[in-house]
Amino acid sequence: MDERPVLELRGITKRFPGIVANDDVSFDLRPGEVHALLGENGAGKSTLMNVLYGLYTPEEGEIRIKGEPTRMSSPRDAIDAGIGMVHQHFMLIPVMTVAENIVLANEPTREKVLLDYDVAAQRVRDLSDTFKFRIDPNARVEDITVGQQQRVEILKALYRNADILILDEPTAVLTPQEAQELFEILGTLTREGMSIIFISHKLNEVTEIADRITVLRRGKKIETLPAAGATEESLARLMVGREVLLRVEKGASTPTEPLLQIEDLHVTDDRGIEKVRGLSVQVHGGEIVGIAGVDGNGQTELIDAIAGLMGSDSGRVLVAGEDVTNESAKDCLDAGLGHIPEDRQRRGLVLDFSLAENLALHDYDSQPASRLGWLFPKRLVARAQGLLEQFDVRGGGPQTHAGGLSGGNQQKVVLAREIDRNPKVLIAAQPTRGLDVGAIEFVHRRLVEERDEGRAILLVSLELDEILSLSDRILVIYEGQIVGEFAPGVSEEELGVAMTGGGRKEVA
Amino acid sequence: MIERLLARLPRGARAVAVGGIVAGLAAFWVALPPLHLRTPIPSILIGLAALALGGYAISRGVKRLGWGAVVAGVAGIGLGYLATRSSVDHLDQVVVWSALFAAMLRYATPLAFAAMGGIFSERSGVTNIGLEGMMLSGAFFGIFAADKLSSWPLGLAAAALSGALFALVHAFFAIHLRADQIVGGFAINFLALGVTGYLFIDTYAGEGTPPDVPEIPDVHLSFLEGWYFVGPILGQLNLMIWLAFATVLLSWLVLFKTPIGLRLRAVGEHPRAADTVGISVYRTRYAAVVLSGALAALGGAYLSIGFVNSFNQNMTAGRGFIALAVVICGNWRPFQAAAFALLFGFSSALAQRLPAYSESAAVLFQALPYVLTLIAVAGVIGRSIPPAAVGRPYKKQ
Amino acid sequence: MTETPPEGGGKVENPRQGGDYAPSVAARVAVWHKAGGIAVPLLTTLLAFFIGGLVVLATTGKNPLTTYKAIFEGSGLNWFLEVGSYEIGIPWTESRVWFPWDTSFNSFAALNLQQTLIVYVSLVLTGLAVAFAFRCGMFNIGGQGQYLVGAIVAVWIGSELPGLPGLLHILVAIVAGALSGAVFAGIAGFLKATVGAHEVISTIMLNYVALWVGVFLFGLGGPLQNDNVGGESVPVSNDVLEESKLNVFWGDPLLQGLHVGFFVALAALVVYWITLNRTTLGYEVRAVGFNPEAARYGGISVARNYVLAMAISGTFAGLAGTLDILGWQFRLNTNDIFISSIGFVGIAVALLGRNTAIGVALSGLLFAALLVGTSTRNLDPEIFRPELASNLTLLIQGLVVLFVGADVLILYLFGIRRRARQRQART
Ligand SMILES: Nc1ncnc2c1ncn2[C@@H]1O[C@H](COP(=O)(O)OP(=O)(O)O)[C@@H](O)[C@H]1O
Ligand SMILES: [Mg+2]
Repeated sequence: MDERPVLELRGITKRFPGIVANDDVSFDLRPGEVHALLGENGAGKSTLMNVLYGLYTPEEGEIRIKGEPTRMSSPRDAIDAGIGMVHQHFMLIPVMTVAENIVLANEPTREKVLLDYDVAAQRVRDLSDTFKFRIDPNARVEDITVGQQQRVEILKALYRNADILILDEPTAVLTPQEAQELFEILGTLTREGMSIIFISHKLNEVTEIADRITVLRRGKKIETLPAAGATEESLARLMVGREVLLRVEKGASTPTEPLLQIEDLHVTDDRGIEKVRGLSVQVHGGEIVGIAGVDGNGQTELIDAIAGLMGSDSGRVLVAGEDVTNESAKDCLDAGLGHIPEDRQRRGLVLDFSLAENLALHDYDSQPASRLGWLFPKRLVARAQGLLEQFDVRGGGPQTHAGGLSGGNQQKVVLAREIDRNPKVLIAAQPTRGLDVGAIEFVHRRLVEERDEGRAILLVSLELDEILSLSDRILVIYEGQIVGEFAPGVSEEELGVAMTGGGRKEVA
Repeated sequence: MIERLLARLPRGARAVAVGGIVAGLAAFWVALPPLHLRTPIPSILIGLAALALGGYAISRGVKRLGWGAVVAGVAGIGLGYLATRSSVDHLDQVVVWSALFAAMLRYATPLAFAAMGGIFSERSGVTNIGLEGMMLSGAFFGIFAADKLSSWPLGLAAAALSGALFALVHAFFAIHLRADQIVGGFAINFLALGVTGYLFIDTYAGEGTPPDVPEIPDVHLSFLEGWYFVGPILGQLNLMIWLAFATVLLSWLVLFKTPIGLRLRAVGEHPRAADTVGISVYRTRYAAVVLSGALAALGGAYLSIGFVNSFNQNMTAGRGFIALAVVICGNWRPFQAAAFALLFGFSSALAQRLPAYSESAAVLFQALPYVLTLIAVAGVIGRSIPPAAVGRPYKKQ
Repeated sequence: MTETPPEGGGKVENPRQGGDYAPSVAARVAVWHKAGGIAVPLLTTLLAFFIGGLVVLATTGKNPLTTYKAIFEGSGLNWFLEVGSYEIGIPWTESRVWFPWDTSFNSFAALNLQQTLIVYVSLVLTGLAVAFAFRCGMFNIGGQGQYLVGAIVAVWIGSELPGLPGLLHILVAIVAGALSGAVFAGIAGFLKATVGAHEVISTIMLNYVALWVGVFLFGLGGPLQNDNVGGESVPVSNDVLEESKLNVFWGDPLLQGLHVGFFVALAALVVYWITLNRTTLGYEVRAVGFNPEAARYGGISVARNYVLAMAISGTFAGLAGTLDILGWQFRLNTNDIFISSIGFVGIAVALLGRNTAIGVALSGLLFAALLVGTSTRNLDPEIFRPELASNLTLLIQGLVVLFVGADVLILYLFGIRRRARQRQART
């Protein structure tokens, strides 16, 4: 193997207001290798790759492609240099077809002016067949699965003749099986001479497929080491900078009476597609029920229907014995529901409100926050003071705007608000998405404490690790139905099979 | 091609609903010239059929179209009844189909130009509520240049240029400064009102624009003269009306059949995705917005030097806003938008002729196009899906 | 705000939400709040006047400063500069006390200032009409229509019901005018809440509806045309009855003195502030304005707040129309309806005032002075032609709206100066 690197980053520094996202980071990629970039959320992995791809301009540092210093002032330069990137958030246009997405900006034409769609579709079909992707070029992107969308992204790079491929957290949205298929594809690609940068914060996959591993922590490069011989424990220490508990400590659960009951629920989304199709779940006080599943199998609609944010077609939802089916969000909250929403920035917080105002989002209209429609801002502040201390929120006081806090502290504010209401049922939707290890530990510990307080907790997460380490019972959702129930000791593979519909028959 | 078109025709309950809407219209139509049925019975019967068809469609889950049929049925009965109650004379005065259609084309033309402009701008992700102002500037600078330079083509060129300049200002604020696009667009309207008013008073003071300004010529199609119905409509139309047809066709071609259109739509749907494949979001948006200003201004120039042959302060009277509504109702697609432009043009034409019914209520009919716009926008929203990134500034990192 | 992607997850970003055409103005509101301070609006104004001055210079060759000075004097604001030793009567008594400014009927400045403050009343109210909807994430361009509806109803009630005692008559007219504005604006809020029709389009269309309905009502042969002897050919309403005219507390009632509606406008500013900051309704409105999705999640009915906020906005605008009728216009003719643009100026007032009570109070004064200072009656034609000047006002208005939308530019220009100062300080 030719050891001269195809790509070198030297001393890259990139600052954002208030944070150094990359601090003098160097990195190199050898031909035909898979080089993993490992680091926890916010370590600066995506930033480094965006610098490489010409999306960000670094303050300092140099990029060399095959030994040549190269300026990446726009993605065009990166594409010309043979770099393809599959972004963490896919860069696909949902309403356009697969073929249109792939050929965009490099379109085949007829008579120089007209778009030749048929040729485009044919080329995509050929390319897809070469790698056995089985993608329909004429399908609209919004209609295909996430796994297929990822392949469209890879095809985009191949169509542009990339020989360096960057994958930013590609497995975050895949089932274990899909991830395995992806690894096989990557194997094929490297055999064809492609060099791959593989970004992840999951230790097991990094050790599985990488040749070398570079660890980033808080924007700094910690070490580059060969994958052979690296253990998950040693990598975890490098990544976090201290010993970490890979599992949550919790005692056995003592379930009491059922507090959340969902019976034969049917929910149709605003595009007219039935997303929840006859789903029944019971969550007892004092237990955590985890719902595992691939994104888009009805989790969002299920939660929204429980929380009164979406109407249901039929079925019943009972919170602490009270029927709240198709009641308003307010009524659901009043019945004793707490809800940590999936997207704290878009839904969980009003980023332009102060923390005090955010903490009052559910009870601004009742005593003591207000009386007969008259609001008492001082009381909001006083209460916020206590809560912020209790939940160890750092980075601002009651008057700080929520938008000014880090993700972890924002989530603590949401947690504080939902738990302080003393709810009987707590829905936690992806409660640790995008948080760093410290914040994840805090949230997990807190959820277990609330379970021990006797609350019924419904945990919906795409992270199997999280489901496995927190849940007392695990349910798998597939196409809007529960297709399997498992004890916490189940293996990831078993869950993975159920998540893709494999376990369906045994329930039905 | 024909198969594709056939495949897009409504089927099942949808077809029933469409039939209901057509029946509703027919209920009104039978009471009008040339049929002139003098009894309301046929209108009522046909209208009831429309109601039945609509009801069936609703029961089959085709709600929106179904309700459309019900509304059309009720309106058909009501209007048909009113028509049978009014005198044949009045009806003949108001409903001269060929004249109505010709007027419809005249009123629709400025809307079509501005709407095509709006489609380009919004498809690229920039809301353009300044269409009204750009149209107004086209109306003024069109007649101003035509007068001073004694040439209508130069007038058109000056109009397009002025619209493009206003659009450039809007683009700069919307794209580079990431200002709120609705606020910025509205500022353009104020500015255009001020600039055109200022220059109009300064140049033409009390007298108004001179009557002998060179006008955009009509196109005489003498071979059409004898043709029934078609002759009076198409035989003598202004050049700009034909250009409007061409603009609609061209807009569709560019947007949906060329790489440029694909890129422009990509920028309006997901600018970052377009950026990552090497498309310049800023350049695309600038081009689209400037083009939209030029097109809107051409619509305005038609008003001043093709239609009424004079200029008045604020003469566009909200047509730019109606054009925006046309864009929304037309689902950001040229042909659908053109269809709505015709609908609004028709309502304006009707509003112009309806005063024959009643002197005092005459002015009330002037509100018709605006009311119709309100209803149309309320009716189609939810079905019409805007470009995903419209109105959102894009920030390069 | 929309550009920082949510963390985690790799699915296709789908920024679309059902039926929302063009994003709400929330993000912009947020920026304004954070930017805070008076520097940006001040610079905005200066920049707008500077460019307006260039226009004057370029088109007429006149010294813009002379023009602006004439406008300033036409607005009567120079009254405040003419400090002297005068007397003022204490209301409801015979006694007079010392007062620093001239309040006698022969002070030109005082007369002009009264006109400015009369316009100020309606500008504050139409400004609040835009501002309140803005705080709920809506751009209410329908202030003009709501103003007209209020005026129409006020003139109708004010000129009918002769049996009613004065104060009651005024109250009835005010309440009816304000309510009609609320209902009219509520239509747009209702359409947004139910079918998602964008308020910008619907309020613009409603403006035209109000205009033509007004022209119809008071026009020739219209149902509310005046029944004066020989009035058939005049498209004007009846005059409001004497007892329903508002009291004039400063100046000569016959020369359009300042009416007590002035205090209503000031009270409206206070009500606006209190409603937004000290009531649960205001909390809801602001939450919806900043982030409707989070508000909904928090149990707040977004639809209800859209309707309510629009209705409250309409109340302010309707009140403006009512006070203008009862305070100084006393009748509506169709020409007034055509040329009135107070509701549109309200947009500039609200935007420049950043939708805060204090901001509206200040920017309202600026625009009132501009409008009155450039009116045919007050601007010396020797110095500048008033018809031109009123278009200049429009221009300045447009520039202000343009620049307030682009705080980035202003902050940037501001930044250059600050950086220059810092450089200087260092050397
Ligand atoms: N566009 C941006 N503006 C400001 N800060 C940013 C931006 N992008 C990333 N950051 C910050 O930079 C840090 C690194 O982020 P990122 O590279 O996305 O981390 P990773 O991909 O490793 O999870 C984080 O603290 C993040 O908040
Ligand atoms: Mg990342």
